[in-house]
Amino acid sequence: MRLTGLLLAALLALPAYAGSASNAGAKGSRIVSADGAVTEILFALGVEDRLVGVDTTSKYPEDVNQLPKVGYLRALPFEGVLSLEPDHLITTEEAEPEQTLQRLEQVGVKVTRLPVAQSPEQTLQRIMAIGELVDREEAAARLAAELQVVFTDIDKKVAARGSAPKVLLLLAAGGHGVSFGGSHTGADALLKAIGATNAVSNIRGYKPASREAIISANPDAIVVAESAPGQFRIADWPELAQLPAWKNGHRYVGDSMMLLSFGPRLAEALVILDGILPEAPTAESTLASRHGD
Amino acid sequence: MATDTAKRAPASLIFMVLAGLAVLAALFSLTNGAYPLGTSDVVNLLLEPEAAKPAAHMVFFDVRMPRLVLGFLTGAVLAVSGTLLQGLFRNPLADPGLIGVSGGAALAAVSVIVLGGSWLSDWTILTGRWALPLAAFVGSVLTTLVAWRVASRSGSIAVATLLLAGIAINAVAGALTGLLTFYADDSELRSLTFWSMGSLGHASWEDLQVAGPWMLLALLLAPVLAKPLDAFALGESVAGHLGFSVQWVKRATVVLSALGTGAAVAVTGLIGFVGLVVPHLLRQIVGAGHRVLIPASGLAGGVLLVAADSLARVVVAPAELPIGLMMSLLGGPFFLVLLMRMRIGA
Repeated sequence: MRLTGLLLAALLALPAYAGSASNAGAKGSRIVSADGAVTEILFALGVEDRLVGVDTTSKYPEDVNQLPKVGYLRALPFEGVLSLEPDHLITTEEAEPEQTLQRLEQVGVKVTRLPVAQSPEQTLQRIMAIGELVDREEAAARLAAELQVVFTDIDKKVAARGSAPKVLLLLAAGGHGVSFGGSHTGADALLKAIGATNAVSNIRGYKPASREAIISANPDAIVVAESAPGQFRIADWPELAQLPAWKNGHRYVGDSMMLLSFGPRLAEALVILDGILPEAPTAESTLASRHGD
Repeated sequence: MATDTAKRAPASLIFMVLAGLAVLAALFSLTNGAYPLGTSDVVNLLLEPEAAKPAAHMVFFDVRMPRLVLGFLTGAVLAVSGTLLQGLFRNPLADPGLIGVSGGAALAAVSVIVLGGSWLSDWTILTGRWALPLAAFVGSVLTTLVAWRVASRSGSIAVATLLLAGIAINAVAGALTGLLTFYADDSELRSLTFWSMGSLGHASWEDLQVAGPWMLLALLLAPVLAKPLDAFALGESVAGHLGFSVQWVKRATVVLSALGTGAAVAVTGLIGFVGLVVPHLLRQIVGAGHRVLIPASGLAGGVLLVAADSLARVVVAPAELPIGLMMSLLGGPFFLVLLMRMRIGA
């Protein structure tokens, strides 16, 4: 059944792209990636030369900026994607509008929507899935194994630590204020992966951070995810700067795509964040949080 | 405005120019876009539809064609509604947003985006892919109705009160929309941002089947109001003395604007500026008489939106700019220049 479907799709696609891509199958096909993490994985698997377009969430690695951008993955333009003559659109369940994706399939573009990844395991699954899609199973298995080593190492450290430190994650995007990364977010999932508890788990989603709430959160460590380098300036946030966690260096300011997209750089993110956690909750912060209560 | 009658171009010339521009805009819109499908390809496609690539076929017949028709109708309906309401309120600042149409549509649309999975799940299950446009349409008509009720005293309606009621209701709808925005998660937030910037990029024949009849109805019935609105320009009591049923004129104006604009907004999202600027501009050219002003505004609005949409899909190809954004980007500075030139002239 599936084979017939593929054959049919290939037959349909053949006359449409006879000039550009005689092989509508997986090998050597032209790919549009509409997701930052998917793009990173495609680069990591060494198939970047097949990429003919990406969405605006794809910002890493540098070379991605030379590719045509088809706009935001929640507002994919049918004509724009089609003009790149792709054989395959790889995106996630977040992609919209439904109609664009359906139409692309109707004209013979293979559309793959991967599940949203929000844990180290799902990152590995996503890498393996993409490896299969682009015929790079071996490279994918190698990358996954490398990451698995780091993940296992982190798990051991989490178990050894025993207690779960309280971490505050702030998202700095667009240069206007910062947002708390509350529950049900990639931020929350990231903190879970390093065995930390979310200092603002009572907030759902990303919500604007108030200065008072920053003080009362009094975390053991602070992570600031920037959507562009230099977007966060600590001078604007004296409340944050006076927190013991910030003063004692239990802090990290870095790229939000590395921290929150659950792509191949997740291992890097976990190692960095594990490095800023205090060994055990410090006496100073325990005292202060008791004051806060 | 009354002094420059001599400079005014004859109506027939205006209509010929506008019709010519409409044809040019339509041709430009059908032959430009991210996908390589230029004039010669389009000619071949029309001569031999069967021989075309399926992708090209779809781009032309299922993407660019409905987009052109929807763009033209939407621009026309927004401009005509603006004309009607500016006539009714005797105020050149009036636009369809003023009677609550866009505020109500935005509130309903954002409700569906944010609450579609929870409180409003029954609605989304019942209406399927039409959940958002239907809600936006109902929302726009309902808010207008509320503004109307607030402004009516024992069967008659005070135009000034209707205007104030519209402003107040817009404020309330805006606040509720803001509240929903606050509770929206990351993905909902981005969906609603894009909706509020408007788009013709996802136009389909189904959209036209659903929204088209309402827009056509508003466009075809609007000229009926030309004479009464001319009389309104002299004042409400004068219009009454001239034999027009004042209450009927008010009701018809509001109903046509709300239905037409509501249907347009429902399938395209928020597109500002057309309703405000086009009638204003056309009044400078053809004068304040509604018999010419209404159809001329309709044509000009359609041309403007089709042209802006064609640009919106070319300038950042293969991505697309939201059309609402494009309108304000082009329209804002243009309007400012116009205002400055008028001041110098005076």
